[in-house]
Amino acid sequence: MANRTYEVMYIVKPDTDGEKIEKLNEAVGKLIEKEGGEVVRMDDIGIKPLAYPIQKNYEGHYVLFEIQGSGQEILELERRMRVNDMIMRYITVRVDEDRKKADKIRSKREARSAKRARFRQTPEQTEAAAAEA
Amino acid sequence: MPENDLEMMNDRGDLGVGEDVIGDRPRRYQRRRPRQVVPDYLDWKDVELLRSFIPERGKIMPRRISGISAKDQRRLAKAIKRARSMAMLPFVAD
Repeated sequence: MANRTYEVMYIVKPDTDGEKIEKLNEAVGKLIEKEGGEVVRMDDIGIKPLAYPIQKNYEGHYVLFEIQGSGQEILELERRMRVNDMIMRYITVRVDEDRKKADKIRSKREARSAKRARFRQTPEQTEAAAAEA
Repeated sequence: MPENDLEMMNDRGDLGVGEDVIGDRPRRYQRRRPRQVVPDYLDWKDVELLRSFIPERGKIMPRRISGISAKDQRRLAKAIKRARSMAMLPFVAD
């Protein structure tokens, strides 16, 4: 089974009371688990000002989820988010591939610098060369 | 004549000043920060970092000014657009 990592973020209307938001977050977590996914991280960021108004609101309650799964749960989750009136905006980003790429670049760079360090003369060698001359 | 030559030299100095020929007149631009480093994993939620590539107007900084690689520019543009759609960055700032 394909194992993918997604970041799902949604903005809830700022006038929704905290209890309802908590319930919504719980429902999202449950839905993901039911569909065979796994919640890696749940972050209730809270009310933040928006860069531009959405549905006449100037701030929004941000919630971020990090999900691991096949992608099946994303399908269902997006469908639910689309019809939910409390959610003004949502986004899903697949992050596992980009992270893997970043790791590859990093390890390559580390290997290169290690190689370079091996060929660089140590201070003792430099001294010995100077003494010889 | 020698005076003129000198001016030409100054134009292409190491200060990162260059010319873009648009239309009949070369337009001068200043490479503000040459060789900018973009992290390996560019997080679209990192608004602080993305903001450093957005001038006051809210547009994405062109590559000739930021001096980043074409690959990084593509990644950066994508991240900025994602942040925009989540109202973390403005589409237009007045």
